[in-house]
Parts: sequence; structure tokens; C-alpha cells
Amino acid sequence: MTERARVLAWRLAILAVLLGSWEWLTGVPAISKLPGLYWLDPFFVSRPSTIVQRFVYLASGRVRLSIWAMALSTVQSTFWGFLVGVSTGFVAGLILGRNGRLARIFEPYIIAFNSLPRIALVPLITMIFGFGLLAKVVLAWTIVFFIVFFNTFQGARTVDPDLIHAARFLGASERQIMRTVVVPWALAWTFASLTPSISFALIGVVVGEFLGGESSGGLGYLIIQSLGTLNAADMMVALVALGVIGIVMALGIKQVETRLLRWRPEYRKGT
Amino acid sequence: MRDVSFEVHDAEFVAIVGPSGCGKSTILNMLGGLVTPSAGTIELDGRPVTGVPPKVGYVFQKDTVFPWRTVARNIALGLEYHGVAGAEQARRVREGIRLAGLEGFEDAFPATLSGGMRQRVALMRTLVVDPEILLMDEPFGALDTHTKLGLHAELLSLWEARHPTVVFVTHDLSEAITLADRVVVMTRRPGRIKLVCDVKLSRPRDVITLREADEYAREYGQLWHALGQELR
Repeated sequence: MTERARVLAWRLAILAVLLGSWEWLTGVPAISKLPGLYWLDPFFVSRPSTIVQRFVYLASGRVRLSIWAMALSTVQSTFWGFLVGVSTGFVAGLILGRNGRLARIFEPYIIAFNSLPRIALVPLITMIFGFGLLAKVVLAWTIVFFIVFFNTFQGARTVDPDLIHAARFLGASERQIMRTVVVPWALAWTFASLTPSISFALIGVVVGEFLGGESSGGLGYLIIQSLGTLNAADMMVALVALGVIGIVMALGIKQVETRLLRWRPEYRKGT
Repeated sequence: MRDVSFEVHDAEFVAIVGPSGCGKSTILNMLGGLVTPSAGTIELDGRPVTGVPPKVGYVFQKDTVFPWRTVARNIALGLEYHGVAGAEQARRVREGIRLAGLEGFEDAFPATLSGGMRQRVALMRTLVVDPEILLMDEPFGALDTHTKLGLHAELLSLWEARHPTVVFVTHDLSEAITLADRVVVMTRRPGRIKLVCDVKLSRPRDVITLREADEYAREYGQLWHALGQELR
């Protein structure tokens, strides 16, 4: 058995044990009577079999808002928030990273805004942008922007001056130095921030959906609606879906990162 | 450094040797316009140097090959900056790769190359834009003796082919004699010119057999005597 297969086998075994004990423990009413274990009850944590049933139901055409539509809405908002956040954060990081005076001027504002808990902005953003896609995108953006900004800023500031000299001796203009030295150098730093960024974008979107109601229509809405109806199974369906979305997005970023940073020795393994 | 004055002629190969900290790299940085002298002037074709002059190539001691570009894309850099594109760029890059002996490594990233190969890329990247003046700051300082000899031979043959003016800073006297027409020996800090010596070895030179020649030993002895006093 290869190492890969062994790791996979262990993963599957752990999953089977988890799901199996979940299904079994919630099926024995006596267990939830034990002190402190009241929550081991299908009412609170549902059961894998019920979750699958609810998923099939929510995925069918019999519901007004299917799980697919909700997942799509969440993915869409996350993607746009991420995209806008990364691009604006990258550009701002580059500009301030290469301009010491601008960086000093903006420093207190950036620190102040960044230390503001983003959740506190949700009502304000909702007031301004309504309950739809736009509010969710804006919310994700306010989070992603700063993560990417700080990383890119740090990268742009630490560009090796000898590489800039080398480029200048080869005849590079300031623009060309930016494009061929500063941007590739800073990109390596930016990429380090992308995986956390996608998770945070998802957080921003789901929080937006908590408040946004049906018109925001994502998985966050399903969660908050399930809370209203005390439906743990639907909540679990939404959580599993969010987990899957998170994994897929993170893997996608990993792919792009490996491709763009293939010049770095640590990315060359297995190529 | 103090009272340093010398002239470098067109198509001449000058080496500057001296103990560490005597200011030989600073001289090079002034020639390249990276550092402004606190007193005195640097002139190029009779005009004072302010900022990085065009047509000057600089090879650093430090590895300045761009790690995110392949060998071929590194060598293409200068051409790209000068707006040389398409078939002409491809032709000159191919020629540079051939001259540097890097065939087969066109698409390799620098991280996969040895130090000697990376320095060959840096050298060729500078030469491919045909600089009239080449400033070299201990470019082979970090390499082992064998790799160094190989690069000496390559540098000499490239120099024979195009005859740029070269100012080569080193602390290695044998390297200076092997390559240069003229050797400038600097004193300890504060750096002054101790001795300027013409190297009367015929060209083209063979880096291996050269060292067995009597003339080489004589030049070396004379220069070593001067340099040795500064190392004490």
C-alpha cells in the first residue's frame, strides 16, 4: 500500500467512525438523558441519514429556493467579493508600498479601519446597499481588501534594491521596473494571503446573508431560517455545503498559486 | 577614499584590486551613477555622470538573476526594456544562450541552476544589449576556483569578440592579471591608488597555460609585493 493510499484509507476510516457514531448515538434516546449529553439528540444535532434526506429534498425541484440556488448565490457573492478585494488590495498595497510618504499619511486611517470589527459594519452596509448581492460583496470586500493590502504592502516594501538596480542598468524605465520587478516580487507575498482571504470572504458573505433575509438568498439565509424553525437538519445541510464550497475554492487558489509561483523551489515538488 | 584619479580608455580592460573596505566597490558604484561622490567628478566621454548612464552594463557580486523568470526570459530582459521584440529578440536571446553555454536550460528557473550558471545568466543578460562599458563588481567572488576559471575563459572570449570597456573590481590578484590590460592596486582605508601596472601579457590569453608563463609570475610577483604591504 502506498503512502497516499494509506493516508486516504485513514481519512475514510475516521469519516466512517464519525458518521457511524453520530448516527448511532443520536438513535439511542437513553444517551440524551445522561447529564450534560442532552444535545446528543436529533433535535439538536440531527442525524446523518436525516441530513441526507433533507439534502435530497432541498436539492429537488419541490422547494421554492433549492440548495443549488442558495449555494450559487453564496459562491457568486464570495467570488466577487474576493475578486474585488484582492485586486483593490493588491493595487493599494503596491502604491503605498512604493511610496513612503503616502504610506505614512494613510497609516492611521488604515489601522483604525482595519481594527474595526467588520461585523459591526453589517447593518450600515445593509442600509446603504440593501439586501441583495451587492451588500454581501461589499462586506466580503471590506475584509479581503485589508488582508491582501497588508501582505502586498509588506512585499512591495521589501523588494531587493539590487534587483531594481540591475533592471535600471539593463535600461528599464520606472514603469518597466514596476512591472518586471516590483509586481512579481510582491505577488509572492500576495499569494500567501489568498487562502485566508477566501475563508474570510466566505465569512463576510454568510454574515451578510444572516441579515439579508430571503432576498440575499444564500446558505446563510438557510441557516438563519432553520434557526427560526428549529430545523437542525437543514442547518447541517447548509454547513456541509459551506464546507465543500470552502474546500473547492481553497483548492482552486492552490492551483493558481502553484502555477504562478512555479519558479519558487518550494512549489517545484511533484512537477 | 582619497585622491583617487584614473582614466580608463575605450575598449580597455581595467581591474581594481585592493583589501576589503578600501572603497573599490564604491568606485564602481560611482562610475555606475548609483553613488554620487562627496567630492570630485566622474566623467564619461567628457560629460559628468549623473544617474545611471545609458550603454553601461553592471554585473553584481550578488545574485541578481530574477528568480521568477526562466533563463531565456532573464537574458531577454534588457532587450525587452529597449523595445527589441519578436524574432529579433528571440534571435539575440538564442545567440546569448549559445555563447553562455546554457543550451538546454532555456526554460529552467534560476532556483534549479548552480551558482556558476546563474552568474553566466547574469553576465549574458548584461552583454546581450551590447553595453559599451561593462562594470563588474567581484562577479565571480562567490564561485569555486574551477567554475571561476571557466567563466574567466568565457569572459575573455566575449571581450575579444566585442571589446567593451571593462572596469572589473576584485580582491583576487590572479583574476585581475588573467583578465586585465591594466591593474590598479588600492591601499587600505582610506583607499588611495598605490600602483597602476600594465599587464604585458599577449592576447588572446588562455586562462590555464597563462599561469605557467614566466611573464605571469613576474607580473604577479610585482603586484603581490605592492598588495601584500596593504594586507599586513
